[in-house]
Amino acid sequence: MTRTRLLLAAGAAALTAAALLLGGVLHESGSAGVASSNRPAAALPLLSDFGGSDTASTIVSLQTVVRAAPEDVRALGLLGLAYQQRARETGDPAYLPRSEGVLRAALRLAPRDLTATTGLGALALSRHRFREALALGRRAVALSPSTARGYGVTGDALIELGRYREAFEAFDTMASLKPSLASYSRVSYARELLGDVAGAAEAMRLAVDAAVGQREALAWTQTQLGKLYWAHGRVRAAASRYRAALAVFPSYVHALDALAQVDAARGHLARAIALERRAADTIPLPQFVATLGDLYSVAGDEKEARKQYALIGAIDRLLIANGVKVDLESALFDVDHGKQLSQALSRAHAARAARPSIDGDDVLAWAMARNGQCSEALEYSKRALRLGTVDASKFFHRGMIERCLGHEVAAKRWFNRALAVNPHFSLIWAPVARRYAS
Amino acid sequence: MRKAFLLAATMTAVLIALASAGSAGAASHREAPLISLDPAADITDYFMFRSYEPGQSDKVELIMDTTSEEPSSGPNYWNFDPSVLYRFNVDNDADGVADDVQFEFRFENEFRGTSKDLKLFLPDVALPGPITSLDSPGLGMRQTYSVTMIKNGTRTVIADGLIAAPSNIGPRTTPNYESLASQAVYSRPGGIRVFAGQRDDPFYIDLGAVFDTINLRAPGIDMLSGFNVQEIALEVPMSMISDGHTVLGGYAETARQKVTVEGDGKGKWTQVQRLANPLVNEVVIGTIDKDHWNAVDPEDEGEFLDYYLHPRLATALEAVGFPTTACTPFGGPSCTRTNRTDLVNVLLKYDPSQSNVSELLRLNLNVPPVALAAQKRLTILQGDNAGWPNGRRPLDDVTDIGIQVVGGPDYITLGAGDGVNANDKPLPAAFPFLSTPWDGRGRVHLNP
Repeated sequence: MTRTRLLLAAGAAALTAAALLLGGVLHESGSAGVASSNRPAAALPLLSDFGGSDTASTIVSLQTVVRAAPEDVRALGLLGLAYQQRARETGDPAYLPRSEGVLRAALRLAPRDLTATTGLGALALSRHRFREALALGRRAVALSPSTARGYGVTGDALIELGRYREAFEAFDTMASLKPSLASYSRVSYARELLGDVAGAAEAMRLAVDAAVGQREALAWTQTQLGKLYWAHGRVRAAASRYRAALAVFPSYVHALDALAQVDAARGHLARAIALERRAADTIPLPQFVATLGDLYSVAGDEKEARKQYALIGAIDRLLIANGVKVDLESALFDVDHGKQLSQALSRAHAARAARPSIDGDDVLAWAMARNGQCSEALEYSKRALRLGTVDASKFFHRGMIERCLGHEVAAKRWFNRALAVNPHFSLIWAPVARRYAS
Repeated sequence: MRKAFLLAATMTAVLIALASAGSAGAASHREAPLISLDPAADITDYFMFRSYEPGQSDKVELIMDTTSEEPSSGPNYWNFDPSVLYRFNVDNDADGVADDVQFEFRFENEFRGTSKDLKLFLPDVALPGPITSLDSPGLGMRQTYSVTMIKNGTRTVIADGLIAAPSNIGPRTTPNYESLASQAVYSRPGGIRVFAGQRDDPFYIDLGAVFDTINLRAPGIDMLSGFNVQEIALEVPMSMISDGHTVLGGYAETARQKVTVEGDGKGKWTQVQRLANPLVNEVVIGTIDKDHWNAVDPEDEGEFLDYYLHPRLATALEAVGFPTTACTPFGGPSCTRTNRTDLVNVLLKYDPSQSNVSELLRLNLNVPPVALAAQKRLTILQGDNAGWPNGRRPLDDVTDIGIQVVGGPDYITLGAGDGVNANDKPLPAAFPFLSTPWDGRGRVHLNP
């Protein structure tokens, strides 16, 4: 009896060891197999909750494994991913360098490890280090040309580097290797960039279908679909998607933030402020704090608005300290809010050099315009609109540039286009567009 | 695909790691999920066997389970996915290509009844009374489906407008669930029966013990107890699909539509997952080939042959101190420790002399079915030849069979296994062969 038990134990231990040793097998369920691994998801239904303790406890158990076996590449890789998840859940960027540390350790032990390579690529994307992300994505693709997610890293990086044709090819490859919410949502984004709004919505609806049963992913896809509607003035359709997201994930910050903007558009400022405050209190992302400040400003509470705006610098410094590049975002915030315009312009130049996307072009154009450099701004605005993207903010910026150049008729046309696309495109600037359009 | 042997819990947490952050403001980069679960298209089990229901032994059962489900997952109960193509693929001429007979299942959602009239947040409610029939007004989200057979290039709709059994909500909403579910068993001319709907997950494994290196229990605990799945079951006469050959090959497939950036509409169906023999995806195929393995058809298994010949599970079993050898009950020309042609023969071939390989679940129709009460969980290791790897029945303990077969004679002698030897709910001996699903209110997961 005892012997049998021991042997059984050994058998199972062997099996576990198998699991532990066989990088491929295990990684599978951590990454590639992810697409297929829903059983554990059901076993741990709360895992995907923001702020839940599950990721935290996962980190603790993986740390234990790594302490006992510092050369366990698989555990190091998983720990690296878990740190990134925790960064998302808490908004605390201090998890990012920790992720980098263990992922690099994994790669030192196993330079060809796919999970660690892709994980570092995802990390670089999170830090807005797109050239680095591109190199890592390319490396992941070279390690496994048939694995979809490497093309996701590559394509995401190429988008931000303004290399759209190559990015779209990467997304197409990804979607043909594996139709999934990851590839559908990227194809949707690409179509949106190309101005194909209906096609973008169709692909995002496929992503929503493919996300069913995964709380966070479903909330994310529903919110994205809502934002697509919102960006094209379909307020009710957008609100209904945001509410669908909150129905599956009641504290989902991105839906709270989006719904706050719906409430603001409908004139319910107090409700909007309450929603945005919930979002910003849960995860203090700079864009939530900025929107909260804008809402206070629109509500006439300049003191509270300034208080929120003042937080942004601190949050940005924290992000920078943890390796995140925030030049583009912070330049846009400063330009939008008329703060330190000449410094903002330098940052916009630097940001655009690091990130020559249509967003980089647009922010630089807008920064130039606000600094009176309107002829140069016009060139960057044209670049920003080169894909045919239907984006009210970019249209508005163009209107401001044309106006600055004395092109009154053209300016009004752009203001009207912006408002026709989305009359609520900005808490601060939509009213300006309305004033100048008439 | 079943994450049976794996460090499942940890994995899940981590895979979500790459699964999404929100899109931010205009200038902020949009972080879409890089990898994601796909529960609706996730095939957790594939079964194929001659019916052991009394009086039905001339029938073949094709069953796929998808979507491991927490029963208390309201208000968002699990369903089939209308954007997924579910398909059984059968090879009946032993050429390894499972394109001889195929059965496609497509689902549609119908919003109706009380929930629709009152714009309720909950789809299924005991209003005005409990849901006792598939037409009850309380059933607010109803799924209908069609079954299409493709044989010799001809598509035949063999059923349409069938209704899937809804989730087992709880004693107030679905008080007599089995009677409700039985209405979703449809007979069709020619001896066909069909069922789609929620059932208890028949798989059993002590995942926690396997996970926690040394902490085995006796007996083990079924970590998948108390979970449900979506079952698609199709019963057809042997004569309808056998084409005279004695051995069938088959696998289950889910497909999604491919899209391209500049393409119009939705593109062609692309296989996102396949399942024939249990545990192949999890234990045999390596990480870097998973996406590709799932996308290609089984007859291209030759690309992955090395994974079978040199299974890393065997390497790992050895590393812990137990030698693994071939010469398992499936024999094989070579009794070596690494060149596992025995595994290739049993998983990929109809006959060892065959040169082409194809990863299919194979069922010898000449082996008579064994009544449920007489079935042995270790199948051929216990003299019951009507179970895996000769087809697969819900009762078969594929975890332990897998360990013993990969481990070799020593593992068989000591009866190595996970200590969980049966499902948490007794299996029924009749179509659709899986147990009543756990209801949302009364569900329990076994705990020590």
